Amino acid sequence: MKIIVCIKQVPDAKDVRLDPETNTLAREGVQSIMNPYDQHALEEAVRLKEQLGGEVTVLSMGPPQAVDVLRQAISCGADHGVLVSDRAFAGADTWATSYTLAKAVHKIGDFDLILCGKQAIDGDTAQVGPGLAIQLDIPFVTCVQKVREASGTELVMERMMDDGYDVVAVSCPALLTVVKDLNEPRVPSLKGKMKAKKAEFKILSAEDIGADSSCIGLPGSPTQVVDVFPPPPRGERAILTGSIEEQIEQLVEKLAVYL
Amino acid sequence: MLIVDSELCIGCGVCEDNCAFGAIEVVDGCAVVSDACTLCGSCVDSCEVEALKIEGGEKSVQVDLDSWKGVWVYCEFRAGALAPVSLELLGAGRKLADARGVPLSAVLIGADTGESAEKLIGHGADTVYRIDNQALTYFTDESYGAVLTDLIKAHKPEIVLAGATAIGRSFIPGVANSLGAGLTADCTQLDIRADDGALLQTRPAFGGNIMATIVCPSSRPQMSTVRPKVMQALDFDEARQGEIVDVAPDPASLQTKVRVLESVISEQDNVNIQESDILVAGGRGLDSEKGFKLIRELAASMDGAVAASRAVVDAGWIGYPHQVGQTGKTVAPKLYIACGISGAIQHVAGMQSSETIVAINRDEDAPIFDVADFGIVGDMFEILPLLISKIEGKRGS
Repeated sequence: MKIIVCIKQVPDAKDVRLDPETNTLAREGVQSIMNPYDQHALEEAVRLKEQLGGEVTVLSMGPPQAVDVLRQAISCGADHGVLVSDRAFAGADTWATSYTLAKAVHKIGDFDLILCGKQAIDGDTAQVGPGLAIQLDIPFVTCVQKVREASGTELVMERMMDDGYDVVAVSCPALLTVVKDLNEPRVPSLKGKMKAKKAEFKILSAEDIGADSSCIGLPGSPTQVVDVFPPPPRGERAILTGSIEEQIEQLVEKLAVYL
Repeated sequence: MLIVDSELCIGCGVCEDNCAFGAIEVVDGCAVVSDACTLCGSCVDSCEVEALKIEGGEKSVQVDLDSWKGVWVYCEFRAGALAPVSLELLGAGRKLADARGVPLSAVLIGADTGESAEKLIGHGADTVYRIDNQALTYFTDESYGAVLTDLIKAHKPEIVLAGATAIGRSFIPGVANSLGAGLTADCTQLDIRADDGALLQTRPAFGGNIMATIVCPSSRPQMSTVRPKVMQALDFDEARQGEIVDVAPDPASLQTKVRVLESVISEQDNVNIQESDILVAGGRGLDSEKGFKLIRELAASMDGAVAASRAVVDAGWIGYPHQVGQTGKTVAPKLYIACGISGAIQHVAGMQSSETIVAINRDEDAPIFDVADFGIVGDMFEILPLLISKIEGKRGS
């Protein structure tokens, strides 16, 4: 089974915060990590490969330093890594990103399955996975929480819904987005780390993937950001005082409107 | 691409300070742009000497933007019921439609929808497009997506709203992508821009640490998903008049490659925490599954639902659908009571938009108190039983 896993390099959530003085993202010492959901997508791909044979290619779009997450993916069991990187991609929204990834997938060639994380923790949109499937004209299933059966040609899985889950079947090729209940990602093995160290990656530009310049980056994006601002402040921390009994008394008073 | 005119740039650094993404740095007296640039344009506005500009061709503007008219709401219907967010969106859509002077339409897709269409009219819709077909009993991205896409192409609404639910967040991105339309996820605020009637879509980014306002300048429809509990539904008005239009789906739309074998409604804790007004959330501070029972009791005492931090879900005390935070659900209830939750940014990202936040924790330095409106420092096992009995007493009286 040929599997492509889309992964994104994102700032580590615990480091990202807005500087209240300057109203900008404090960026001192912000670490970059592989998007957490994508780690589960990668793990599932490696498990399917171990079960059914085949190979796993990881695909990322981002600045040159995003090869770090490709390297990490190799250490966790991926076979190949491809990065699409070009200044012309700057300002891409989810439509332009889906288009760019679809072009890159065509360049990679045949595949049976594409796995993506449900969403990236920096953008939280959950739009690129379905968008990529539409661009490739293949069926997609979002929020997969369990793969029940997999053969080289068909998958049966559980997709998370708000009120439970649906059991669905789909024939390959297909695209799945996954949630973290799916599996427990492995830690890299020593052998994997050695392989990652030596790995080399294809870096593809807009021209390499044959992208139409009106469909990528800012010009290719139907949505545009017109303003960025901090959320309204929540006010001062208000810790109640007095004996526990008194504090609870006060709290119940304050919450009366909700009771 | 962001262009810096090195002749004009005076190296003042104002742009550097204005960049939310850390993509500009002043090097040797001149601004230098890195790959982190998202072309948001904040720096261009901030530059007093006009040394910065964004170049590289605007997306070709659709020639007929004005021929797209009307506000639409996709009204989710599943397992015999309308999702509450559908009615909230009709409330929001009504305001947008009135501001634009256009009609508000609802799209109802499903099987055996009963009186749902009438209900949608009573809550603000002028027209309901009803696609009621047995083949649509189960949701699939393909069938629901094809039906909605065909309708949008036929009627050309300027705005399409949908709930940011499991269903909305799954198939709406596919619809937007196939239409080439702009879609903004998880909006918390929607307005009409006075000068050109464009939809201003505001959403949290970076886990709620920053808000962004987004427009779709050159394409239609303008599409948004909106979180449950953010917008206000209109009261049901039986006297409201509207038109119900039954639409027969194209048989080709009903052919899907994904087959639903079974739809399992969760028996235990069958509640969508995103739709609850009151959430009581427990964290590691409850010590054990037994301790976590206090959370269930407190929630029951105030007719709330149970939520949890990641640690609790990982420990198996409650299922993943109850997890709040960056890798769980984002919630915005009227009241959120966090018990024994330290308040790591990953958790706070999922609940900081709640109307009122109460934190109970034994560590007074826990960051959860920074977002709390009311906090109590102390032992969970002393506080919670007392609180439960006080609330029961108050509600009983």
